[in-house]
Amino acid sequence: MSAVTLPSLRPRPRPPMAAVRLLWHQIRYEQLSFWRNTQNAVFTFAFPVLFMTVLGLLMRGGTASSYFYGRTPVAYYMPTIAALSVIGTCYGQLAVVLAMRRQDGILKRVRATPLPAGLYFLGLLAHCLVVAVTDVALIIGIGALFGAPRPAHWLALAVTLAVGAACFCGLGVAVASLVRNAEAAPAVVQLVLFPLLFLSGTYLPIHSAALNSAAGMLPIRPFNQALLAALNGSGLDWMHLAPLAAWGITGAVIGIRRFRWNPRPE
Amino acid sequence: MRRELTIPVPSTHEVPLPGIDPVQRHFDRAAGPGRAGEPPALVADGLRKSYGQVQAVREVSFTVQPGEIFALLGPNGAGKTTTLEILEGFRTADAGRVAVLGMNPADRARGREFREQIGVVLQDIAVEPYLTVRETIARNAGYYPRPRDVGEVIGLAGLAGLERRKVRKLSGGQKRRLDLALGVVGRPRLLFLDEPTTGFDPAARQEAWAAIRALRDAGTTILLTTHYMEEAQELADRVAVMASGRIVAEGPPSRIGGRDTALTRISFALPEGCAAADLPPGVTGPPAADGGLVTVDAAEPTAVLHQLTGWALGRGTVLRQLTVERPSLEDIYLRLTAPDRIAASQEGSTR
Repeated sequence: MSAVTLPSLRPRPRPPMAAVRLLWHQIRYEQLSFWRNTQNAVFTFAFPVLFMTVLGLLMRGGTASSYFYGRTPVAYYMPTIAALSVIGTCYGQLAVVLAMRRQDGILKRVRATPLPAGLYFLGLLAHCLVVAVTDVALIIGIGALFGAPRPAHWLALAVTLAVGAACFCGLGVAVASLVRNAEAAPAVVQLVLFPLLFLSGTYLPIHSAALNSAAGMLPIRPFNQALLAALNGSGLDWMHLAPLAAWGITGAVIGIRRFRWNPRPE
Repeated sequence: MRRELTIPVPSTHEVPLPGIDPVQRHFDRAAGPGRAGEPPALVADGLRKSYGQVQAVREVSFTVQPGEIFALLGPNGAGKTTTLEILEGFRTADAGRVAVLGMNPADRARGREFREQIGVVLQDIAVEPYLTVRETIARNAGYYPRPRDVGEVIGLAGLAGLERRKVRKLSGGQKRRLDLALGVVGRPRLLFLDEPTTGFDPAARQEAWAAIRALRDAGTTILLTTHYMEEAQELADRVAVMASGRIVAEGPPSRIGGRDTALTRISFALPEGCAAADLPPGVTGPPAADGGLVTVDAAEPTAVLHQLTGWALGRGTVLRQLTVERPSLEDIYLRLTAPDRIAASQEGSTR
């Protein structure tokens, strides 16, 4: 072994760019972990892209109708499938990954290193955002291929995506904190998600006023509506972003308060 | 008249250590091996910790000197891991004082500074499955201000040739070595090892011991827990035996529990046609069991052996299976933890 020296007892001042470099370091390794896991790459990432492709092939050339709220089918599905990809990445994948890492003791292991907890989480959230944005870009591209109009409000789209990703990450952390057993995490995630996606008009437009106002109080429909407005509507849709943000903040508060690093409760 | 010659011998405490505050070198230090003139690497004083009704740690005090390997021995449930987790900052003690590298592990404000200087190898294997060995070590290296070179750590942990292998394809022992690599990549001043070689084959264990000694030689202070007496004997400068949440004995492996002053055991097979009553008067011990050996516990074995061998030579017989033994660390350990084990097995209350 080569000669080694002991570190100094006094803390060194940290260079201001160190945190940014560390964040980048984290995002890189989160990305590596994500893409090497076939289940993530196929179900979380490729599934919405594939779904959009199939819908595009089936519905291209469809005319605007009142069933799709005056839009063509592809123009309707582009935002809902984009929302699906954000939800899958930020909520579903994050909840499962966090629950698994806690159960396997990986989170405890992270806690034993000097990596600040905030940076660990920021890295994980930024990684989710990177995956979600790539997915959404692909879905918009495929939508355009099948005749959907080009996004009308790029800035509104960026803001909506950022708010949506942050909110579903908050809900993902909450579920990860509440689930006791990591094996149950995927089932809990899907159990909540699947009916909610139907109710929120992701797969089919809903024309019941009662259902829509009920779903409007839950997080997915407002996100669909806000994305619809940003892609080809009025632009930034605060009316729908507000309930979404409320859900996200509630989730984040629960998630942080109930969060455990330790596999077993003390 | 002979003149006294004084040769200046450089003592360790006069060698300036980089970055150590000169004021801190004048702290009192408890007796024990380690580098002279430095404050203790770790002080645990009167630690207590309960989980509900269960008192896991009742009263634990010990000091680890810089540069030494200190081993906590004890049966399962003795409180070793809880003690270690308090010192690592994972749990807070109900009572008592802790100073690890001069810091309180529970102090959140200095948490990052603390973790930059310690290395932790936990009992459970916990590594991300989809990264390669090299990527996993390189990722953790990025968390420390002065990490070891990734290649050096791979060599130290015995992972050479496995750099590009995915973690999920490693064997249990290889994952454990990766755990060790992650514990030392930050160039810790103090390394915690919770049962570092459990499940290793003998060759892997020898390699792990060599790695741990190399770390100690490089100046790392090491606190380890183990079930293996051999491991404590091989590695530790000092050993503390824990039972029922308390330290029941502490000292160097060669002297712990009065091992250096304990009786020597002489045993042999009684020659054929010979009764226990025929033995010389000094050679007295418990009667031999059927086909068993005569054992004699002697404070001063020289005289007993002289009498015994003289007697045998005089009769012209052979003393088959003659052995002279000092108590092993395991004998001492079993004696020290016997009350604990008896209580645990819910058997008789008297010995």
